Amino acid sequence: MASVHDAERMGGKPHWEAADIIGKMTLSTLLFSHDYRHIAIKGMLTSIVMLGLGGLMALLFRTELAAPDIQFFDARPYMSLMTLHGMFMVFGFIIPFVVSIMYYMIPKILGTEQLLWARGAQWSWWLLIIAAVLLVISRPDFTWTFYPPMALRVGGELIWMGYIAIVLVAISEFIAGVVLFKNGWEGARRIGWKKLPLMGWGALSEGLLLAGSTPMLGLVGIIMYTDWAGITALYDPSRGGDVITFMYMFWFYGHPAVYLPLMPAVAALYTLLPRFLGRPIWSYWSAVTAFVLLTVLGFIVYPHHFQPAENVSGWLQRTTQILTLAIFIPSTLHVFNWIATLWSDKIPDSARRAIPFKFMVASIFFLMVGGVTAYVNAQIATDSDFVHNTYFVPAHFHAMFVGFMANMAMAGFYYLYPYFTGRMFNQALANTHFWFWQIGIFAKVTLMYYLGFNYFPRWVVDYLDLPQWSMPQMMLTGAAYLIGLGFIVFVINTMISSTRGAPVSGDPWAIDGEDATAAAPVPAE
Amino acid sequence: MENALGLAGYQSTMMIIVFVVLGFGIAALFAALFLPTRWRLPYSMEFLFIGLLLVMVWYGDSRSAEIYEAYQAPLEEEGVLETGYDPENGNFDQVIRVLAFQWGFAFINEEDEISRNAAVVQPGERVLFSLFANDVIHGFNIPAAGITAEFEPGAERDVWIRAPEEPGRYLIQCLNYCGVGHSQMKAWLVVAGDEDAAEA
Repeated sequence: MASVHDAERMGGKPHWEAADIIGKMTLSTLLFSHDYRHIAIKGMLTSIVMLGLGGLMALLFRTELAAPDIQFFDARPYMSLMTLHGMFMVFGFIIPFVVSIMYYMIPKILGTEQLLWARGAQWSWWLLIIAAVLLVISRPDFTWTFYPPMALRVGGELIWMGYIAIVLVAISEFIAGVVLFKNGWEGARRIGWKKLPLMGWGALSEGLLLAGSTPMLGLVGIIMYTDWAGITALYDPSRGGDVITFMYMFWFYGHPAVYLPLMPAVAALYTLLPRFLGRPIWSYWSAVTAFVLLTVLGFIVYPHHFQPAENVSGWLQRTTQILTLAIFIPSTLHVFNWIATLWSDKIPDSARRAIPFKFMVASIFFLMVGGVTAYVNAQIATDSDFVHNTYFVPAHFHAMFVGFMANMAMAGFYYLYPYFTGRMFNQALANTHFWFWQIGIFAKVTLMYYLGFNYFPRWVVDYLDLPQWSMPQMMLTGAAYLIGLGFIVFVINTMISSTRGAPVSGDPWAIDGEDATAAAPVPAE
Repeated sequence: MENALGLAGYQSTMMIIVFVVLGFGIAALFAALFLPTRWRLPYSMEFLFIGLLLVMVWYGDSRSAEIYEAYQAPLEEEGVLETGYDPENGNFDQVIRVLAFQWGFAFINEEDEISRNAAVVQPGERVLFSLFANDVIHGFNIPAAGITAEFEPGAERDVWIRAPEEPGRYLIQCLNYCGVGHSQMKAWLVVAGDEDAAEA
């Protein structure tokens, strides 16, 4: 077992030499290079752009929501903003961001030294960019779940581009999944299954989830297009179709979709925690079990997304409830493992100072905040009682997406930053970013839970002027602005520090008491 | 669901469990970060913890199933789900048919009177709502009665509520995005007061 807990294998040693990789990149390496670092940096940078755009859209429609009645946006532009916000954040920002962090870390941590099938990762990126452009042109206003027949009857003449974009996203994610699975598999073949770093297990589950679920999304996108064009009528009841088919097909992708950004974030946490603490993860096999369970459960619990519909009844409803509740077990295994690792020995002062470590701790916190309420979401009675499609649901997934995954993406970015710029970011600005985000996210999530508790419906531009609704909405807008401000600080810090930050030599994340200068990258075997 | 509401009801129980578990988790995280005492947890702790979680899963599942079955029971007894409800011999105090459309509700009572914005009921009545739509998927939610349903076009969905005892207006809203007018898709559940009862 000693080799399993080898700190080096768990990411406990630095894997790269700090170098100004980004400064030496030209336009052609940025666009076409197959070096894993170039692809990963490109992915992270475009994700940050998407985060900025998606966040700007959120700020715009949050401004509208601050007070009852309609002030700035009519229902249609409001819904376009909201739909694009969702699609940009999920497809454009969070999934590619954490996947790019994986691309960066895998080659060294799994010992493959290069990203296998980097061409695939390249294609995946290009398809995603085309999809994003098509999405913006098509201006969809049918929410990211585009339930037919509603979706078939709204939107402008260019909405077909939106369906093409959905197909492209599916292909892009499928390719990324194959790349990750291939790399994870190769790592396992070289290192051995019993010694495979947790990053490898993360890559395998992520690859399976991506490659297994996205074909269905592609199919849904194609059928939505042909239905819209009048060629088929699979999803349109007025022409003999059936919406239930859509529900099952879409959510077969839709539930794994929420695990797509989760798995790399979890894998990054497992890799970085030993790195900053200087000791191995508390239990390797508990983490592996949790990865496997989560992957399996991720594929079969999807009917809980449309539970209050009549077609989910009887044994299917009950089974879905039990399996959904059972997700508690793997997620708690993860959290338990992290807390036990933190608790098992002294936390070095170097870790307490490190910005990535702070973001990791915040991630664990928000994973709990978002996770426990699933106990209420998962139960049939509470779901059809008061949770379904109220703000309780966005509160749950914003705690996960923003609180856990976006925080973890930031932890990964700040961790890799000195490695690809050769310079350290400004500590004070990074701290400002951290606190703006944590306060903003906590306020946002709490207020959304509160609104959901008071039956505030999702997807509304206008609402009744009830005291339990308007006051939290106003505060929620404030919290959103705070998060936006944090993002601006982050961008400024990233840009300025890449040329003016203190140059890094040796290990930028050296643990107190260890010789920082002696730490050199681990040679390849 | 009538048996789920109230301070000691099932909803509150579940929320209390959520808060307790969350509080425990946050306390553990903060202890791991800030307590001077270091603790290498034995692996048996995790199995104990999983055991506790399994109890939690079992409890959530059985309570939820119990509440939901109790709620479905009247629908089954009256034959609503199998053969369709018979208003002559049935035990519901009132049957209201609800047509949901883009964007609003039409309530049709037993006298075939149509209202575009209000379902009028008596305090404490057991009301059966027969929901249907012809255009897109809609939702139907009455916060005060604790009921949410989602129904697709072409299908009929039956839900029942016990009307609030307090006379007044209670919100009815659509909870499923059904097009740009979704936010306007609201109506009222009007619980008639004594003066209304006297008039009628």
